[in-house]
Amino acid sequence: MDSAKFNTLRKGLLEFLILGIVSSGRVYVADMLQRLGKTDFATQEGTLYPLLSKMRQDQLLDYEWQESDTGPPRKYYKLTATGRKQLAEFRGYWESLTSLIDELGKPSCKK
Amino acid sequence: MFQLDEDAYNALRSYLDRARSRLRRDPGRDEVLRDLEQSIGEKLVQLLGSASRVVNRREVESVLEQVGAVDTGNAESVKVEGDRPRRLCRIEEGQWFFGVCQGLAAYSSIKVEWVRAIFVVLTIFTGGAAALIYLILMFALPLVHTHDEYVASLRTHSDAM
Repeated sequence: MDSAKFNTLRKGLLEFLILGIVSSGRVYVADMLQRLGKTDFATQEGTLYPLLSKMRQDQLLDYEWQESDTGPPRKYYKLTATGRKQLAEFRGYWESLTSLIDELGKPSCKK
Repeated sequence: MFQLDEDAYNALRSYLDRARSRLRRDPGRDEVLRDLEQSIGEKLVQLLGSASRVVNRREVESVLEQVGAVDTGNAESVKVEGDRPRRLCRIEEGQWFFGVCQGLAAYSSIKVEWVRAIFVVLTIFTGGAAALIYLILMFALPLVHTHDEYVASLRTHSDAM
């Protein structure tokens, strides 16, 4: 799964995976990196920060500053109403897509 | 909180410059840069622990590798490709006269048959002025031999920019 084609696909999906991760509550960037790290979607900060900034401009998510005992304050992210709606839409679309792909693979009954 | 030697500073500087230029169309650029700087800073602090010494280039590079080059995703790279400066040329391959229409077709991504038809119609309606334009282009435009060569010349042209 490392051809350029799959790479493009992964890049496009990353935004929705971030929506999924952030939907679990208040999330730090470090959590996102860790969550994705063991998957096919392992991502670096150089990719993640610009994407988060874009998603915030699209009003899918927002952040608040949180003081921390060890080091500087950190941003924690959460979904906006628009973000939750888009995640639900994506999940619905993804389901219809996978069932379509399964369907297409089967030999058709009609002649 | 930490000191960098000159090489390390230059490595960091060039990373941030590259990031800034890749983010030039992003309205959130300054914030993304601040996030990156903070993350790099934290990693360096972690690396040093309690030792107070100067950070060298290798250490900065290992941190930058963890952070990864700034990637703005597909949209940006497609846009950049669209901005690639195109040059108008004459193309010998498939030419009827001097390849001006072939060149215009390759330049505009319009089929060469259309370009020729438009030229003929324009020549008729402008009483020959379009033919004059053809003559001027014939002398003004550089000649390439094949379409492949034209495409290749675009690539090296934009690389040189």
